[in-house]
Amino acid sequence: MSPFDQIKIVSQLLDLPIVDKDERSCGIVDDIELSGSAGKALRVEALLVGPGAYEGRMPAWMYWLTRKMAGDRMVRVPARHVAEIGAVVKLKCKAETLGLHEVEDKVRAWIPRRGAL
Amino acid sequence: MNPLELTLGIMTAVGGFVDISELVFAAEAGSMFGYALIWAFALGTIGMSVFGEMCGRVAAVAKQPVFNLMRHRLGLKLGLITLIGSLVSTLITCAAEIGGMALILNYLTGLPYALLAVFSVLAVGASMWVLPFKWIERTYGLLGLLMIVLAVALVAIHPPWAKVAGGFIPQVPTGLSPKQLLNYSYFIVAILSAVLFPYESYFYSSGGIEEGWGPKDLLTNRVTCTVGFALGSLLAISILASSAKLFGPLNVGPEVPGTTAMEAAMPLGRTGLLLALLGMLFAVAGAAVETCMSNAYAVSQFFGWEWGRHLQPWEAPRFTLAWIAVMLLSLLIVLTGVDVMSLVEYAVLFSIIVLPLTYLPLMLLANDRSYMREHANKWLAKSLGWFFFVVVTLAAIAALPLYLMTSGGQG
Repeated sequence: MSPFDQIKIVSQLLDLPIVDKDERSCGIVDDIELSGSAGKALRVEALLVGPGAYEGRMPAWMYWLTRKMAGDRMVRVPARHVAEIGAVVKLKCKAETLGLHEVEDKVRAWIPRRGAL
Repeated sequence: MNPLELTLGIMTAVGGFVDISELVFAAEAGSMFGYALIWAFALGTIGMSVFGEMCGRVAAVAKQPVFNLMRHRLGLKLGLITLIGSLVSTLITCAAEIGGMALILNYLTGLPYALLAVFSVLAVGASMWVLPFKWIERTYGLLGLLMIVLAVALVAIHPPWAKVAGGFIPQVPTGLSPKQLLNYSYFIVAILSAVLFPYESYFYSSGGIEEGWGPKDLLTNRVTCTVGFALGSLLAISILASSAKLFGPLNVGPEVPGTTAMEAAMPLGRTGLLLALLGMLFAVAGAAVETCMSNAYAVSQFFGWEWGRHLQPWEAPRFTLAWIAVMLLSLLIVLTGVDVMSLVEYAVLFSIIVLPLTYLPLMLLANDRSYMREHANKWLAKSLGWFFFVVVTLAAIAALPLYLMTSGGQG
């Protein structure tokens, strides 16, 4: 399925895992940015990834707590970068192109690169 | 299907089936109620086989582990609540396993418990850092097979086999007082929870993806979940039956793992004792690894991080930090001095409460033909799946009241 096909947004796209073109995990569809207006078709403009996208999806106190713990970082993934929507959302590009691996890369710097088989 | 891989898979499932809570509850159930609770282990094992097979099939066909599905099906809010519940229950279970390792090492060496808890965490953590997934799973699973000595010990003490066989039929023993009846009910719930721990399905489904399972592995999955889990369950049932024969008549309450090891010592002497303790040590250490990794899997999959031990630790950095954090938190819990058996009780209680929420999304996806195609649940898997979903939901509702009314099975 392509991002421009008709889909049941909530049940089929929201909360799906996202993998980049190398099959590396790079987040979850935390929210969806739509365009369109009353009486017209809605179109998916972008996928929103990161705890900043939780606002509006959970009670205010829960979001406040999440923001304190995980921050309010959010990455916007334009729909044109989506290759396929199935059991996961597959991107056409690498995670780095969209800034989806920034935290992963920061944490990687703390992990020693030795001793593992 | 590679026969060697299949055999190793079955042996790993057998050796990895038993953990500290099964050791404790099997021995206690046998001592308190004779052979009457064998059916609860058998029922739980069938349930574990049903859900385990679904987990493995979903991993092989849809390439999705449990927590990805759970968030997609339950949504962010309910998913987050389930995640937190699972993390807490599995953390307590991990602490119980670490405490159990320290206790068994204490029997073997006589060194201080706290020091051995630190050693246990370092040893388990080092193995998780150094070894890739398949080796971690195989090492602990195969060494846990030393516990077969407990099955040999059961044969050696000549139990009343007719009564053992009769224990497989669901029953309520006659002549129990209302208080004993409540205790019996609590043990049914606790045994179901101990056998069906949610971390086992997180670990199994994530393991399938770690090993790159595809539709060609479906038969391996099915055989491992049926034969492997059934044989593993026989080890737990052996502990129960030996306890019923040896401890029940003497009114011995086998509340610590050391008493379970005595089941092998009585007929087989020092060698039996040593093998039983070593088997228990590796089985419990394997469960410590599984619980620790399960929490790291859960949180990584829920937030879409890189995960897995098929990757080098620095290739999945947040996953690596997550399992190190779980290990250290478990050690902290143990070092507070909390009794290991209390941890086991809490682990069983919390786990059964979150169990229905993790199994429902799994079952919905396994039923979904758009993801699973021709491998979607057929009538048998559907019927068994819903039956066990009702069973675990009833157990989850009954768990807390029974725990409070029986003071955790102590009457």
